Amino acid sequence: MTHPRHDLFEDVAVRLDSVSLRYDTSEDILSDIDLVLKPGSFSFLTGASGAGKTSLLKLLYLALKPSRGEVSLFGRPTSNLTRDQLSALRRRVGVVFQEFRLLEHLSAYENVALPLRVLGRRESDYRADVEELLAWVGLGQRLHAKPPTLSGGEQQRVAIARAVVTQPDILIADEPTGNVDPEMGTRLMRLFLELNKRRQTTVIIATHDLGLVRQVEAPVYRLTNRLLVQDVEFGGQAARRRTDPGLGG
Amino acid sequence: MSRVKETPLLPVEDVREAALFFVVGALCFLAALAALSAKSTYGAAKSWTAEVQGELTVSLPAADRRGADDAAKIIRQIDGVRDVRVFSKDEIDALLEPNFGNRGLPDSLPLPQLVAVKADPAAPDMGPTIARKLTEAGIASAVDEHADWAGDVRRVLAIARMTAMIAVALLVSTAVAVIAFATHAALLARRDIVDVLHLAGARDRFIAGLFERRFWVLGLRAGSVGALMALGAAAIMIFTVQAHGGRSGLLPELSLDFFDLVILVITPVIAGFAARLAARITVIRALKGVM
Repeated sequence: MTHPRHDLFEDVAVRLDSVSLRYDTSEDILSDIDLVLKPGSFSFLTGASGAGKTSLLKLLYLALKPSRGEVSLFGRPTSNLTRDQLSALRRRVGVVFQEFRLLEHLSAYENVALPLRVLGRRESDYRADVEELLAWVGLGQRLHAKPPTLSGGEQQRVAIARAVVTQPDILIADEPTGNVDPEMGTRLMRLFLELNKRRQTTVIIATHDLGLVRQVEAPVYRLTNRLLVQDVEFGGQAARRRTDPGLGG
Repeated sequence: MSRVKETPLLPVEDVREAALFFVVGALCFLAALAALSAKSTYGAAKSWTAEVQGELTVSLPAADRRGADDAAKIIRQIDGVRDVRVFSKDEIDALLEPNFGNRGLPDSLPLPQLVAVKADPAAPDMGPTIARKLTEAGIASAVDEHADWAGDVRRVLAIARMTAMIAVALLVSTAVAVIAFATHAALLARRDIVDVLHLAGARDRFIAGLFERRFWVLGLRAGSVGALMALGAAAIMIFTVQAHGGRSGLLPELSLDFFDLVILVITPVIAGFAARLAARITVIRALKGVM
């Protein structure tokens, strides 16, 4: 596998400067968000349902443009990048979607290999890696199964494997353990931590599973009333303040 | 694990693609027929006008057979004249048969003598020269240059050819529009796949390439079927005409030559390229609306 490394000049993996987001003419979903995630940081994003977690993550994986403010990845403001440059940035970001977004006509193996096909890699070069990864998430016997025949938990694990198969520099996961049992949830968290520690992958996980949050000593960002606040102490303690650039990691 | 054959990233859309295949095939059939017609009309105009070029008919209203022979002698002596032949009474009867029936013409009916002349097509002013020479010999005549009529025929056939070419252009444009519409529909139907690929970092041309390949193959296959049907239709038409006495009068020349086969071979290639281009433009434009 290739092992993309952070550029020496990239001292910030993700940076949001006064970012606001609104759909059409409605009022802001997110307002004046500042956020800095350093390379190799591990963070949680929490908030009530409808607080805007998924919208914030969409800004991070470049699925949406902010209504105001600037989103920067790896030190590069994204607002003025060409489409090819945006694609190049997206290749460095792995995403676990809340609704999995698996391609139903492809097998579990092919779904996981999808980002590698996009990168133009040959099947013979990545076959062993994909099989190993699927075995690691407990789907070694379901390589050829199509998503409609997989359970919710199995689909979620395929989605996670697809997000990490390229060993991305940033991993963004939206409720990645929502459909798996606690044991598998713990195992998947170990996978995220391993990526984070071994490869210095910047990980941000949106969840409202406090049990999951308590497993890791990591900053917790909370979306409330369209604003992003950070729990100063790990593990969801009460003291909170507005996020301050530089707190990430 | 045995070698995995990569599944196409775009699933096959059986029903929608069958309908599109039919439409593109039918358009290619019509376009190939129109192109064959244009080419056939061009060939007919060319060969017919080449035939009549240098042909003249000299009408001698006041002459008898002997006078016609004298006129023929005078005409033969003109530079550029290749052949001169005086029409017999039977030939003149045959020419007038459509108007007077097949019982022959009464002897009392005054008829002009006719002299058929074949001259070098490059010889200048052959008609006026013949008329002048006959006048100088005291023979009243009217000279009809067939090339004058050929000009009219050429103009009519040029219009027919242009009409056929416009039909080809319209049919190709229609095929492009239909494929663009189908691509847009496929893009909407497969938005989920496009989004996932897009967010996985696929460049626009990678995504467009998926649709391009799909519609290129469809265009080639549908175009091939359309061209084969056009070949069959042309063959039936030629067989039917030849079985009923072959070519006659001003009918376009009915045959299949090398260039007709070229038209039939390039029809699917053009259909494939048109389909590919339409798909590419449609997808790239649609993706421009996505971040």
